[in-house]
Amino acid sequence: MVSMQTAMENLKELGFNPVTTAIGATQQLFHWDEAKVNELKGYLIAQNFQHHYENNKFYRMLCEDSGVTPADIQSLDDLHKIPLIPVTSFKRPDSHLLLSTSLENIEFEMRSTGTSGIPSISRRDAETLNNCVFSIYAMYREMFAFSRGAGLFLFPSPEEMPEMGMVKVLNMLSGLFDATRCLVKRASFKPKEAIETLEKWQNIHTRHIIGPPFLIYKLVNYLKTNNIHLKLDNKTMIINLGGWKRFSGMEIPREQYNKECAEYLGIPEENVRDMYGLVESNILAIECEKQSKHVPPWVHFSLRNPKNLAEEVPQGKRGVLAIFDPTSLSYPGFIQTEDLVYLKKENTCECGRNGQKVVYLSRVAGAEIGCCAINLEKHMDAAEEKSQMTEV
Amino acid sequence: MYNSIIVDYFSKPRHSGDVIDANRELKIGNSVCGDTIFMKIKVTDGRVVNAKYKAYGCATSLATADIFADYIIGKSLAEIAQLLAHEIDSMLGELEPPQMHCLNILHDLFEQILSEA
Repeated sequence: MVSMQTAMENLKELGFNPVTTAIGATQQLFHWDEAKVNELKGYLIAQNFQHHYENNKFYRMLCEDSGVTPADIQSLDDLHKIPLIPVTSFKRPDSHLLLSTSLENIEFEMRSTGTSGIPSISRRDAETLNNCVFSIYAMYREMFAFSRGAGLFLFPSPEEMPEMGMVKVLNMLSGLFDATRCLVKRASFKPKEAIETLEKWQNIHTRHIIGPPFLIYKLVNYLKTNNIHLKLDNKTMIINLGGWKRFSGMEIPREQYNKECAEYLGIPEENVRDMYGLVESNILAIECEKQSKHVPPWVHFSLRNPKNLAEEVPQGKRGVLAIFDPTSLSYPGFIQTEDLVYLKKENTCECGRNGQKVVYLSRVAGAEIGCCAINLEKHMDAAEEKSQMTEV
Repeated sequence: MYNSIIVDYFSKPRHSGDVIDANRELKIGNSVCGDTIFMKIKVTDGRVVNAKYKAYGCATSLATADIFADYIIGKSLAEIAQLLAHEIDSMLGELEPPQMHCLNILHDLFEQILSEA
């Protein structure tokens, strides 16, 4: 039997890219046994580490300070030695230091803005962007198998916010649908318009609703207040991205949310799906029908002790998420997030997929409460307040 | 996507930092996209003797802050006031459509520095 490393080296020799080859085999990888997937992840991440070590002066300095060289990173067991980039570095004025390539090669700058108003900017070159697009579409296809239908988009159109990460990632779903409509315009959303659109699509398309939880919740609350019970389709999906904590600080209760979506939208509860991702990374962990959030099989999640980020915590315990993403070439995708999560103890799932499953808990204490969704909510609240004042 | 002027100023910023004894402050903020520049300037006898900034946002806006600081240092406010709009436009080189908002940022910086002159 050929070892993973030999197989990957052979692929490279033939001109295949091991990362995109892995992404192309998403469905198969989710059914590989753990040891084999870990071998693959270890190889891809070690190769990616070497790339950044050799091409990024600033990152190499971090590695030298930690006494780590590519020779030290051979497999998944060594990943804890890889120096991590704190996610806040993407907000720093000197974030150009993070680049492992020249700005000349950067094709796209993606941003996320939290409550502080300071944007987090991640800069992707062509290859990183290819990997990012492949990764996200591979996960969308794997978890939702969309190839038709209509998407009611409860977020601003990319024309209004072209670089906002959440908008860009959610809008990619439009490539899989036959019809879409963005219903957040100039920071306002009218639930009545959403209902009319859903009714117009009835018996023509399978209808899906996509957006940050606070906006979908707004629609459900409108239905509840007006005692309207819709009956969407059996295969309707309610797809959420962007955090459950609201700008006001209130947290949207997930269980109640699922129940109310089912009751007022007329869909099975298991069709309410959440996703986890961050603008600085090329990943989306997406919930399956058993509502377990699956980490893409080429990415490794490691959890750290909140009091000592160098220390890994065992699976099943809560910790601060560190991401090892081998798809990022323009900057190191080894990111220390500020998200408190846990990984489910078993790497198997009732849905049949194997691999890591993440459960998001909260932001770590002291971290800025912020993401695209919170920023959007803040602007929508401000716009609503302004329009109410004008009416008075 | 980025012209050589933007690449140069973004990759090797000359004036990023703080001016302790500044007597002028300029601020650019876009609440939606988040491009933000805080610039501190020291003006002595009507001449800019120092300018440093902290900028957050896209590469072009960061380069814009640096190009602006680079231009004004050593010049009198009267000289700066004589700049014509098309001369300001040419400072950033040829821009792609998604970078054009940085021209507004640059014009805004010039307006702000002259507004209290």
